[in-house]
Amino acid sequence: MAFLGVAMLAPLFSAAQKPPPRAATCDVCHGPNGNSVLKDIPSIAGQPKVFIENQLVMIREGMRDIPQMKSVLQNGANSEMKGTLDNVQDSELTELAHHYASIKIAKPPTQKQADLYNKGERLSKEMRCGVCHLPTFVGRDQMPRLAGQREDYMLYTMRAMKANQVVGRDPNMITSLYGIADEDLQAIAHYLSRLSN
Amino acid sequence: MKYFSTHRFKQLGLVVSFTLGALSAQAQTPAAAPPPAWKQGMSDAMANSTLAPLAGKLTATKAADVPINRIKLPPGFKVEVWADSVPGSRVIAQGDGGKYYVGTRPLGRVYEITDNGTTRTSRVVIDKLDQPTVAYKDGALYVMSVDKVLRFDGIDKNPNVAPVDLTAKFNLPPEKHHNWKYIAFGPDGKLYVPFGAPCNICEPPSAEYAQIRRYNADGSGMEVLARGVRNSVGFDWHPVTKELWFSNHGRDWLGDDTPNDTMHRLKVGGHYGFPSCHQGNLPDPDVKKAKPCDGIEQPVALMGPHAATMGVTFYTGNMFPAEYRNVLFNARKGSWNRTKKIGHDVVMVRADADGKNAKVEPFMTGFSNEADQTWWGRPAYLHQMSDGALLVSDEQNGVIYRVSYSK
Repeated sequence: MAFLGVAMLAPLFSAAQKPPPRAATCDVCHGPNGNSVLKDIPSIAGQPKVFIENQLVMIREGMRDIPQMKSVLQNGANSEMKGTLDNVQDSELTELAHHYASIKIAKPPTQKQADLYNKGERLSKEMRCGVCHLPTFVGRDQMPRLAGQREDYMLYTMRAMKANQVVGRDPNMITSLYGIADEDLQAIAHYLSRLSN
Repeated sequence: MKYFSTHRFKQLGLVVSFTLGALSAQAQTPAAAPPPAWKQGMSDAMANSTLAPLAGKLTATKAADVPINRIKLPPGFKVEVWADSVPGSRVIAQGDGGKYYVGTRPLGRVYEITDNGTTRTSRVVIDKLDQPTVAYKDGALYVMSVDKVLRFDGIDKNPNVAPVDLTAKFNLPPEKHHNWKYIAFGPDGKLYVPFGAPCNICEPPSAEYAQIRRYNADGSGMEVLARGVRNSVGFDWHPVTKELWFSNHGRDWLGDDTPNDTMHRLKVGGHYGFPSCHQGNLPDPDVKKAKPCDGIEQPVALMGPHAATMGVTFYTGNMFPAEYRNVLFNARKGSWNRTKKIGHDVVMVRADADGKNAKVEPFMTGFSNEADQTWWGRPAYLHQMSDGALLVSDEQNGVIYRVSYSK
């Protein structure tokens, strides 16, 4: 088991906006203030509010099946696989969404592999990713921010979409990855994860 | 998906390591190679567009928060919020005992709404389904999702009845895109099910897509009735001729004004054009074919380019004035693939019984504002109540309206 060094981060939101109580639970995995430092776990800071809200509903409903969110936190001795979001009211999900949307995403890694980065830049233009996610890849509405998201998480997600093994996501997104080579997904994930928009 | 072992966290500050691991191998693979991404139909001319699907709302809306005064109807008609706090409401099927069953899409729920006379209460019958829809026949609720067919027998008397799983009989195709289905039982007692094309524009990967089929209620006797139907999400039978009339969504990324969404009459064995011919007369620039529109069935009406034509219901009640009898009502959810939005309304198609002389007119508007291009509601499906009032689901707000008429 590795230890998490909790970095002392400069305040990312005004003192007047206290985080919702449940945010402390989210931060355990998704990182200090939603900037993930854990392998394969996405950052949620700076994601569009509607995107976060919709995903929280889908996770609470069990439509997005994320086992780690089920088994990490057990509510009470007799609960059987109760999840972190079971019975959480819509209003609280909306509040969490507002909270994380208002946090600035952490700076991306500066180290990059030039060839992979350039290939990813070219592919994300050719594949028109910016039509939905915007040319800056900061996302909007129900479409997530890709710029600065964790490379490992994005690669995992794109692979799962290509293999048609995701539930509760827009089929338009799933079909946009039909037939794409895995090495292309690697390049795209590498490029997007280095963008500091 | 496999479950992975995790370490329980003891207190803040300790990290647990997770691995997402390999993808499960249990999913079905498509019969043939899926269409490559470049076939999704965006030309270079579209490269700088930022048109994208509209964001749905998955949280509940209360009636008090619905700006109902903005809804416009012809003189004599009025509207009220009939049921609220049912996020994602789409198809409405009437059951027994004052109960109505309502399907959704991404939220995965099926609601049972009970009409107590002055108020409505709701419960979730089943959830966690992949885009479920509903139909009701002979005391049984039918639920069909992308990958399941379930039947709840006698659900009115036995609310907790365990469903019968009919999935294996129905031979469902595996692709998810355009695979939410509107289903309904016809006058012949058979279950009609369209299967949309799993792409914006492509040769479907196998023959089982872009078609309308019917089955016996138990899944036997499958027949393909029509081919080349890109994505039909609503249909009904003409009250006089008993012929099937169905809506169809045209492809995206072909400009603001082409192709139209369309309304059709079913000709058994007919071909409706997809992918090489749209709206009966428009050759596709990406999937080419010699004389692509020869022999293609012509639409009854053009329903607006990218308007998102949804639920189809012929009005047969006595509450509305006689001029509305046998008129086709169609909800249009509203466009995303168009710089100027259209739809966000319920329209009427008045046509001869053979489909000729069709005229499309507005019935229920006010969900969008053309001047500033804002919108607040998305009418999706319709249901005529026993007293002749019309229920209209608003998928965006997750409420159902009741439209009634009095002199």
